[in-house]
Amino acid sequence: MVLHIDMDAFFASIEEAINPRLKGKPLIVGSRGNRMHTVVCAANYAAKALGIHSGMPTKRAYSIYSKLEFVAADQAKYIWTSEQIFELLKGFNLPLNYASIDEFQLELSGSPDPKPVSLGKEIKAQIYAKFNITASVGIAKNWLLAKLASKLNKPDGLTLIDDSNFEQALRKASLDKLCGMGGKAGQILIAKGMKTCWDLYLNLPEFFNNNPGKFDENPGKSSEKPKSVSHSYTLPRSQINPQVIQAWIRLLSEMVAVRLRQQNLTSVTVHLWLNGPEIGDFVAQKTHQAPTNDGYEVCQRALKIMTKLSHRNPRIRAIGVTCSGLSWSNYQPLLSEEVRREGLIQAIDRINNRFGEGVIYPAITVLTR
Amino acid sequence: MNQNSFSPKARWDRFEPEKSGFNPDALNERIEVLALFKQARIFPKSFLWHDKEYIIETITYNWQERIGQALINYFSVSCAAQIYQISFDNSTFRWQIDKILD
Repeated sequence: MVLHIDMDAFFASIEEAINPRLKGKPLIVGSRGNRMHTVVCAANYAAKALGIHSGMPTKRAYSIYSKLEFVAADQAKYIWTSEQIFELLKGFNLPLNYASIDEFQLELSGSPDPKPVSLGKEIKAQIYAKFNITASVGIAKNWLLAKLASKLNKPDGLTLIDDSNFEQALRKASLDKLCGMGGKAGQILIAKGMKTCWDLYLNLPEFFNNNPGKFDENPGKSSEKPKSVSHSYTLPRSQINPQVIQAWIRLLSEMVAVRLRQQNLTSVTVHLWLNGPEIGDFVAQKTHQAPTNDGYEVCQRALKIMTKLSHRNPRIRAIGVTCSGLSWSNYQPLLSEEVRREGLIQAIDRINNRFGEGVIYPAITVLTR
Repeated sequence: MNQNSFSPKARWDRFEPEKSGFNPDALNERIEVLALFKQARIFPKSFLWHDKEYIIETITYNWQERIGQALINYFSVSCAAQIYQISFDNSTFRWQIDKILD
């Protein structure tokens, strides 16, 4: 049995706790400080009730309700709170999974005294007492159902799905509430007439019984190698200046490379994603023989991919750099230039580790500021 | 869905442009603070900013961030119906007012 904890409108709730004046008013947390040129990264329940949701451009959100309260996102407090909740949950001495910044899972099967509902209540109470924010808890036989259960009575809900209410709960839940059904897969199934989770169960019962496999304990640090590392950024406005676009690609490449080095990884494949009014979505990738985790090299590879663009100088609104084809780094520089480059990267990493990420950076990235 | 993919340390906003970044209203001015340090926790009680004393009525929230080797303790505090964000850098022992919240 799995207990899934899903924080209610996590970022927005923290901002309400910080500034109680915002409580209950329609509030959005924007990705950036410029309220009209960013996207909603979180909305509280009052804003959600107006049809505003995360991912929506703020301009659109303000067209729905012009008096929206706005706070620019500050990841530090969300990450700290998330880590503190994780620490709090460790105290229950059960296998624990850090599923995302606002989702946590506890495995109850091995628990000697499983009283899942009272445990759920206790967790909710402790989180509220310590952080003044609410969480919804779902309990079921696997994490897919537990996660679904956590969504059924939001906010501040506690839902147990067991044999006695399995059909009722699944009938009540629209298919898009199920993890993995929010996108194309869900649309295809909905087009086939499956509107609720119960409809899916009748057609694919094994999906709920077996899928998606066992509970993976993740104590916050994974030793598994990720499949890819990426960073993307939506510019406040479309940008035509090639130097500025290049600067953003360099910055994103550096960010990706830093994460590769932190995990002792190298990559052979670089992907570049560009979005703009003339080109729509441009995605291309290139695999090289030599693995790298050098931001400059990743950037050069991405810029080479960019030459495949049919437009000479398109306007760009969003950029993404991804590195895949990852392997554990065992790079030994041989040529003197490579040794010098490696020394430089290590020196930069040491400075940034000591004084904070981004203290020292490639000069071209000044154009992104 | 890769359940092991989340790393809370993966920060994307450190490189945000300063002017349009996550902290566009930053004041970052040095202040004098009277604080209680108790059981490894910090409780600011009042602060002096531009020669005016602000008595802290409530600490509405607090959080920490590690920037390099420095650990920054942030506090959102309520003084006379106004919320302020102040912070303490444990590497320099410097208190500052970060911003005024609406």
